[in-house]
Amino acid sequence: MARKMVFVDTSLCTGCKACSVACKAWNDLPAEKTKRITSYQSQADFTPNTWTYVRFREEYKDNKMHFNMLKLQCFHCDDPACMKACSSNAIYKTESGYTLVDREKCIGCGYCAANCPWGVPKIDEATNKMYKCTGCIDRVENGMKPACAQICQPGAIQFGDYDELMPKAQARVAELQLTNPKAHLYGDNLMGGTTYVYLLQDRPGAYGLPLNPTTPISLTLWKDIVHPLGGIAIGASAAAITAGVIVNLVRGNYANRAKNIAESHDEGGK
Amino acid sequence: MAKEVYRFSAGERFVHWCHGVAFLLLLFTGLGVLVYAFQPAMNIFGGIQVTRNIHRVVAVLFTIGMIVGFIGKGQGARQMRRWFKDVINFGNDDFAHAKNFPIEFFGGHKPFPPQGKFNGGEKLNSMFTILGTICIVISGYIMWFASGPSLLLQWAYPIHAACALFMAALLIAHLYLGILHPDSNQALKGIFTGWVPAKFAYEHYEKWYNEEAKETIRG
Repeated sequence: MARKMVFVDTSLCTGCKACSVACKAWNDLPAEKTKRITSYQSQADFTPNTWTYVRFREEYKDNKMHFNMLKLQCFHCDDPACMKACSSNAIYKTESGYTLVDREKCIGCGYCAANCPWGVPKIDEATNKMYKCTGCIDRVENGMKPACAQICQPGAIQFGDYDELMPKAQARVAELQLTNPKAHLYGDNLMGGTTYVYLLQDRPGAYGLPLNPTTPISLTLWKDIVHPLGGIAIGASAAAITAGVIVNLVRGNYANRAKNIAESHDEGGK
Repeated sequence: MAKEVYRFSAGERFVHWCHGVAFLLLLFTGLGVLVYAFQPAMNIFGGIQVTRNIHRVVAVLFTIGMIVGFIGKGQGARQMRRWFKDVINFGNDDFAHAKNFPIEFFGGHKPFPPQGKFNGGEKLNSMFTILGTICIVISGYIMWFASGPSLLLQWAYPIHAACALFMAALLIAHLYLGILHPDSNQALKGIFTGWVPAKFAYEHYEKWYNEEAKETIRG
């Protein structure tokens, strides 16, 4: 299947939150008690049962209030930190660009959750499994749009083949830049390129997004340096003691040892 | 019976075995989480989730054992504190011994200055173990209790893994010297009964033998 893309155009978003409802409906996720977080935001963060929500930021410019509204879900990175962190081979990429978790393999260790630059994966402590947005892979593979894209009335969530949708996204940015020079794409060049790409109308920080999300250095150190070096150290140690036994045998030290001990018995020690 | 001197008090042996048994259990269960290929082996405990809980229970018992081993006024705790003070005190004589370590490791011998209760090589092993244990305990509790992505948690992972893997490498060499090495394995009895051959003690820890050990001679 060709690489897919979801284009989230914040300039069209009305903040209706239908996307998060559609996500729950399609994925059979139970509703959770919500409370007002700030502005119109009713969900603080992802949970094992909430895979997408809308973040609201209010900003005042020239005495006018601006809503920075952002529908959040897994970005489906091409080079995901969660997959690198996973010690159980439970996270994998599809050809279509999705980052998915195999919950048969997942053990709930939380390494993914700790290393995702956007804090997307959440561990259900009761089942010890990780849950996050699947990109509605089950719909996509059957020729349908993801539930959030399907429901979005103003067309702020668009779905299509990457090669076709990306030029449209770039054209939309160019169009907006005529009146708003801050308009830009977010995600297309992050973490190897994300499947969910955003059009932001302000700097990422205005939406509470990290400016330059990366794979944590600690994760690279852990998986690419500590693990191979640790393996080498254990291997070298095992090889050294094997050589030690052989060299001691060849030198006759084991035979001498028995003799020495016998002598020390005769002498009665020192 | 050959003459023997008293080397390890009950307290020292308790801490050693508490550390040893806990380390092996923690290493085995930890590898089940860390290395995918080890996961099937965790079925002997009843699966990976049971294993993760065993790892935590043993970690707590281990931490308590270490603390109990070092605090208090008892003779054992005093010995442990003395060991700690001894091994972090690394002088020229220790260096001279550690320098010859590769020769001794492969069964050769080169004279070294008289050593205290712990020789240069043992001091190095002890210092690595102390440092590794402190780091692995702290990073482990961070991994257990930290919530949400944070730098603290992210850095705890490589530190925990590095300590585990390098202490495992150290353990392999330690087992060799204690069990398989034809000269140094004379000390093996000491960690079970506390007593080691007097001749061995004299040859390996001359300073300690003359200053302390010879008063305990028996047999």
